[in-house]
Amino acid sequence: MSNNSFIVLKKELKDAIRDRRSVMAALSYSIGTPLIMCLVFIAMIDKFSSPDALYINIAGQDRAPGLIRHLAGADIHSEMNLKDDQDSVKDINLIIDDDYQDDLRRGLPAKVLIQADFSNENLKASISRLQREISGFTQELGAIRLIARGVTPGVVRPIDVEVEDMARPEAKGGFIIGVALFTMIYSVFISGMNLAIDTSAGERERNSLALMLSLPIKASDLVLGKLFAVACFALLGLLLITVSSKIAYSFVPWQELGVNVNLSFGFIVMLLLVCMPLAFLAAVMQLFVSFMAKTFKEAQSYLTIVLIVPMGMAMVTGYNIGPDVLKWLPVSGQQKALMEVVKGNVIPWDSLLVATAVTFLMTFGLAAGLVKMLKREQTVFGL
Amino acid sequence: MIEVRNMSKKIADVQALSELNFTAEDGCITGLLGPNGAGKTTCLRTLFDLLKPDSGSAIIDGIDVSSSPLQAKRQLGLFPDPFGLYERLTPFEYIQYFAELNGLASGAAREATDKVIEQLQMRDIANRRCKGFSQGQRMKTALAQAIVHQPKNIVLDEPTRGLDVMSTRTLRGLLLDLKAQGHCVLFSTHVMQEVTALCDKVVVMANGRAVAQGSPEELCEQAGERDLEDAFIKLIGTDEGIAA
Repeated sequence: MSNNSFIVLKKELKDAIRDRRSVMAALSYSIGTPLIMCLVFIAMIDKFSSPDALYINIAGQDRAPGLIRHLAGADIHSEMNLKDDQDSVKDINLIIDDDYQDDLRRGLPAKVLIQADFSNENLKASISRLQREISGFTQELGAIRLIARGVTPGVVRPIDVEVEDMARPEAKGGFIIGVALFTMIYSVFISGMNLAIDTSAGERERNSLALMLSLPIKASDLVLGKLFAVACFALLGLLLITVSSKIAYSFVPWQELGVNVNLSFGFIVMLLLVCMPLAFLAAVMQLFVSFMAKTFKEAQSYLTIVLIVPMGMAMVTGYNIGPDVLKWLPVSGQQKALMEVVKGNVIPWDSLLVATAVTFLMTFGLAAGLVKMLKREQTVFGL
Repeated sequence: MIEVRNMSKKIADVQALSELNFTAEDGCITGLLGPNGAGKTTCLRTLFDLLKPDSGSAIIDGIDVSSSPLQAKRQLGLFPDPFGLYERLTPFEYIQYFAELNGLASGAAREATDKVIEQLQMRDIANRRCKGFSQGQRMKTALAQAIVHQPKNIVLDEPTRGLDVMSTRTLRGLLLDLKAQGHCVLFSTHVMQEVTALCDKVVVMANGRAVAQGSPEELCEQAGERDLEDAFIKLIGTDEGIAA
């Protein structure tokens, strides 16, 4: 970096720090997003998991004291036993058939009916918990009947299915980690955006661009200075979002989902290193697009469109629905590698290195194009 | 010294400059006088390598702008129109920034900035951010930026546009000072009073050409008119005069 680009960098940073709009843009996304995500995750966990003590409507519970006792052992109770209003009742009806006791006594299948809105995400976990407990009770009862008849219960269980979950607790939250990582990586695109526009299209709008280019400095020095300034903001945003994510996510009760989302110090360092090239790519891309615009507003609308590309790539990777080629590309490549690390797997060095190389190549290409663009009369004067 | 030799430049479909020739000497104030669209600003932009002439050349103190632009630009200071101030910087920071980019080391840049702030009597505003400055304060800041690195040649694009009488008088005084110090001062204008009050030499431009050159008196003589405005109208042809 030459002396002149360092002078430009110093000035751009000083100018940007005094620009409330630029600073707010960098801060609000980086601090706000983890907070919102944290609230969303807490709400989601609350929604998807069944409460410890599950209260439902049970009709005719007098007819099935054994079943009710079994359910109570699994912390499933009738709403009539609700002690206080704090535990809300789930809208699930368990109806014990009128002939339940008769059927049971005669050895016929006794009927119970589970009534609920099965499309309601809020109830899914609770419904399957109820079904599991009832079928457990059924098996227990069946086994006792067989033993009473001198038959070993094993004969009606020809296959004994055993399940062993090999996944590490870290790996289970794959989807959540994907989304969380997406918000972090995307911060490099959001945090520097305002500064990128201000220092390019804004410079033209203020009529200072031609003045800058009339100075005895190389266009490449000007571009480098601005590029580093925008990248500094992008990296600052990234650093902030990792720190605020670490704090915010520690408030989410992950154990209820059986997953473990923990941003260790080592991981944060790794995230910063892996995303550093992305910060430069984001910066040069934003400068390139905004230098083509004549005004701040115009640049803003161009960038909003252009930023859909990295957002789409990161999102598709986060949800793990993209084609395989994405792992070699910027943004998605880095994200994929980081996701593997969070899941406790080995780093896919080959794809990460290729993605990083592609990131650097694109950055150099765009920077060279930008220098060329600033030497064209049409760009400078918007002819 | 600034020399423009046989310079032609076409922008889109318009022949902005055609075979333009003139010289601005050191220790002189040279005015580029012409109606709007005569090619004054285009000409000044070619001096800074912002526009590349199709043919001909601009030579600053013997250095050809198109072959060694950085070296040529080091001999120049630009007072642009519009000023292009950074609203969030103070004049001190702004001027020092340009001093450093013009090649002064940071210590020397600070000293030079201090000196030019003293020279332009802008100590009272030196550490206030430029946002909200009056046109006169902006003018001083822009001029300080143009001369902080003590360039031999100072180029001003429509310097008095939007200035009140007081600021205009200040600016004139400053330009005369620069002339007295031996600088080459070249400015573009369409204001007759400016030319009469300041210029040692006037280059009358129309349609991208220099249609007449000389001191204001010589121009009047050439056109056979007593008033410079009448002489100007006559020299550029009445059509252009009305269009302006």
